Amino acid sequence: MSLWVDHYRPKTLDDLHYHPALSARIKSLAKAGDFPHMLFYGPSGAGKKTRIACTLKELYGKGVEKLKIDQRVFMTPSRRKLDVNIVQSNFHIEITPSEVGNYDRVVIQELLKEIAQTQQVDITARHKFKVVVINEADSLTRDAQAALRRTMEKYMSNMRIILCANSTSKLIAPIKSRCLLVRVAAPTEDEMIKVLKYVASRERLQTDDAALTEIAQDANGNMRKALLVFEALKMQKGILSGPVAIAKPDWETYCCKVGDMIIQDQSPSRVLEVRSKLYELLSHCIPPTVILKTIADRVVELVDESLKADIMHWAAIYETRMRVGNKKIFHLEAWVVKVMSLYKHFFYDIDMSGFD
Amino acid sequence: MAPSSYIISHRERKTSSQLSQKRASIFDSEPSSSKKQRLKPLSALSKPPVFDLTGSQSNLSQSSKPTVKGKAKAYPQALGKSEDEDVTRENGTLWIDMYEPTTEAELAVHIRKVNDVKQWLREAFEGGPSGKLRKYRKVLALTGPAGTAKTTTLRVLSHELDFSIMEWRNSVDERFHKQDEYDEKGNGLEYEGLSDKFHAFLSRATSSNSILSATKASSSYSYSPSSSQRPLSRDQGRRVVLLEDLPNILHPPTQTAFQSSLYSAVMNQGASFPIVIVISDAGARGESDSDGLPSQTWKGKGREVVDIRTVLPPSLLHSPYVTQISFNAIAPTLMKRALQNIVSTHFSTTGRKGKCKQPSKEVIDLITETSNGDIRSAIMSLQFAYTTSATEFPLISSSKGAKGRSKKSEKAVNSRALLEVTSRREQNLVLFHLLGKILYNKRKGDLPSSSASARDVQREKEIDMQLNDPPRLPSYLSEHDRRASRVDVEALYSDTPIDASLLSLYIQQNYTQYCNTLDECDGVIDWLSWVDSSGGESWLQANPHQFHLVTLGTLHSLPSPVTRRGQKPYKPEFFDNLKGLREGEDGLRDVQEWLHRHETLGASWTRNEIALEMGSVLKAYDMAGSTSFKPPHTHRKFSRLEFVRGTTTVTDPVDDKEVTSDLLDVDGDGEERRDDPEKAPGGWLESDDIEDW
Repeated sequence: MSLWVDHYRPKTLDDLHYHPALSARIKSLAKAGDFPHMLFYGPSGAGKKTRIACTLKELYGKGVEKLKIDQRVFMTPSRRKLDVNIVQSNFHIEITPSEVGNYDRVVIQELLKEIAQTQQVDITARHKFKVVVINEADSLTRDAQAALRRTMEKYMSNMRIILCANSTSKLIAPIKSRCLLVRVAAPTEDEMIKVLKYVASRERLQTDDAALTEIAQDANGNMRKALLVFEALKMQKGILSGPVAIAKPDWETYCCKVGDMIIQDQSPSRVLEVRSKLYELLSHCIPPTVILKTIADRVVELVDESLKADIMHWAAIYETRMRVGNKKIFHLEAWVVKVMSLYKHFFYDIDMSGFD
Repeated sequence: MAPSSYIISHRERKTSSQLSQKRASIFDSEPSSSKKQRLKPLSALSKPPVFDLTGSQSNLSQSSKPTVKGKAKAYPQALGKSEDEDVTRENGTLWIDMYEPTTEAELAVHIRKVNDVKQWLREAFEGGPSGKLRKYRKVLALTGPAGTAKTTTLRVLSHELDFSIMEWRNSVDERFHKQDEYDEKGNGLEYEGLSDKFHAFLSRATSSNSILSATKASSSYSYSPSSSQRPLSRDQGRRVVLLEDLPNILHPPTQTAFQSSLYSAVMNQGASFPIVIVISDAGARGESDSDGLPSQTWKGKGREVVDIRTVLPPSLLHSPYVTQISFNAIAPTLMKRALQNIVSTHFSTTGRKGKCKQPSKEVIDLITETSNGDIRSAIMSLQFAYTTSATEFPLISSSKGAKGRSKKSEKAVNSRALLEVTSRREQNLVLFHLLGKILYNKRKGDLPSSSASARDVQREKEIDMQLNDPPRLPSYLSEHDRRASRVDVEALYSDTPIDASLLSLYIQQNYTQYCNTLDECDGVIDWLSWVDSSGGESWLQANPHQFHLVTLGTLHSLPSPVTRRGQKPYKPEFFDNLKGLREGEDGLRDVQEWLHRHETLGASWTRNEIALEMGSVLKAYDMAGSTSFKPPHTHRKFSRLEFVRGTTTVTDPVDDKEVTSDLLDVDGDGEERRDDPEKAPGGWLESDDIEDW
């Protein structure tokens, strides 16, 4: 047994429920024999990884489904040891560099070199090359991206790289230019309902359109989220019909409440309160950028039109600092204090023209 | 180190006594210099030390010159023990060994903890009421800060429940793992790695029954003189395997080997003896190592400290075979009682009654207060306090009368000062002084505080005399106009006990109390944020001026003068948060592994996806309570997040923290049994009473 998302995940390009044109194109590409490096990008939950898996299957056939998980140890320049979980088959290898943090360059380099320097021994293999799938490629550090760029050219003969990213904006241009860019758009509401209905029919579930529409709308183009919510609702209620109450994830509600706290009162002691809430969010593994974004969205909803631009401006500034800096809490808190003081000044009607 | 290790150290002491005597003679020639070194930390205080250095020193050197100080210096390297443990040896015995508790009543541990441990051990031996529990009582992990009587509790219970303790000890010179990059010449030599030994020890110790008598067992288990295992009390068929001296499990191969040995020992059905693992929490170090801080991306298992998760393999940690009992720092009331007991037994049994004076109640209070719940260090300082009073007392008793009395009062001051040097964590002292200097933001012309003594006022005036007024700023910069600061940043920088990164954390934790308006807050935190993000990713690219920037930025932004409203310094919550984050990450990793067990192609979950999107499903599974497909319970560490609105928290930061820690406790799955209500959850330091703030 597994989650519905995993269980009903399409296995081949033909099974895919939406973007048929894209599937056809990938199919012909896999047949052609001259397979390029690829970069799949699109919003999360659009089906990038599913498509990558289908592509691999198209390339190598069933053998690629035999997965094993290896734990590998890498040595950093500072003689620190890193252990990394690597999912691989005989034909491909999959890594998520964000799980090794700042040392992704080491891991990427070592791994690629190793793969590039070994020939495919399986003579029944359809292709000479192996495929390296890099998840969350947009979280690769600059170093790692630079390292990637050279290897991509050098070892083209026996290795292909498939990158998977949410947006191409964080990838350096040389990498983008070496890849075939494939955009996987989020499914439309109708497409999502179609998928949900398919799952419901496989599960022999009674549903009605109203409920499914609501789920699809709530998911906002994120198929994975829709299916997870669908499953959760089914487990809680059993029957899905009529209006369903979809609860937001805990962390999202929490962020909204923090936003409310900021607007309710602005004082040094309130800063302290908000800080403890921020800590709480951080310790639940919510990425700080997501925290900042969610709270900022909430605050912007609540404030006067003239303040919105400023709030977002500072959110952007502190987000940049957060990426460079070490202590995320400083920047989150600094933004909170900034918003509080902007808001307060707005109410006391102090001229802020010289502020920026 | 735990009390258990003293036993072996006594033994070694004999062998190394010749060596140490030689060294002692070297040090005897210059006791005064070593003495001065010990007192140095106080010189960093603005106030001159309150005690008379020369007086007490002459007293000391008259009576105890050859014994105490010299040896103390000679020992640490040879025995690997910390200094102040050795300082106070009398008759070659430490009080901590002499007065080790032998009955439950003497233990200074909260009664409920002792009962928990006892209960577990009973179940392990007898199997509880139904007799079936025995199967699940395989590993007991005792965790807690150092000096909270974890091992002692076990030993005391071994008398009471009548079992023997089999202990593993590391040898010194051997590598744990066979294939370490080492040796390479001894090609044909049979080399049994420490890991093999450990494995053999564990499997035999847990399963083999007592065919051999206690004494024989010890000889048959010893593979080499350095790694010997000795049953510590009589063998009656009941035995506990104690793992305290763990191999270096921060080394990944060692860790894997260790964990697999442990795993197989636990899973072995024939194993009949429970394993007790004692893990002292080593707190996270203050310095920010280049990558120990949580960045936006997740690290691998990037932990530098030994905790239960590094010791036990994850497969065991969540299995029913492992029970964790965490000890808390020893409560002041219990500690005081235990110290008093020691004092009274010491002075009643050894017949020293007439000869010298007991350490006064005041001293005991002081020790209790400064020990931070570490009973081992408390007893050490107690013995130290006793030795000083023992050496000084004869002088006083010989000259009775008015003169003697004045000496007595002087001595009280002396012992207090000496105790402060030995027992108090010096770092905190100077650290909070430093924080006070910065956060009170004193500037030229500030009115002296009401509590300041005449001398302080005088000194402040002198400082002001030397300060030049800064030139007036032009009108468009008038908002940046400040009076000259009394804080000498360069001096602070040279004396600071902590690095800039930790300082910034302390400032961040505390600044809000010192600000009056949000704009001041904004200034401080914006500086902190800026400094944190200046410089590069690794430590070598870090901004070399961080300390100055943090300090000056804070001084510039704070109001002047700072309103005094009884601000209390707090430790940064940051580290608790870091711990929470680690727990959350562990939860994520568990869920990830759980998902990966059902892995199909393309179904790999990244941790971000799990953290952000899985919450509702995990909750639903929890509620449905299905058995075949059950997520690991650790997911609650990240998936549950309930908003608790602290209404009373606005004014009192201590309450605020209570709220958050309660919040955390909700997630704690009820495993962590909290007691000791006396212990303040937020952790502000009571040891802070610097008058000069």
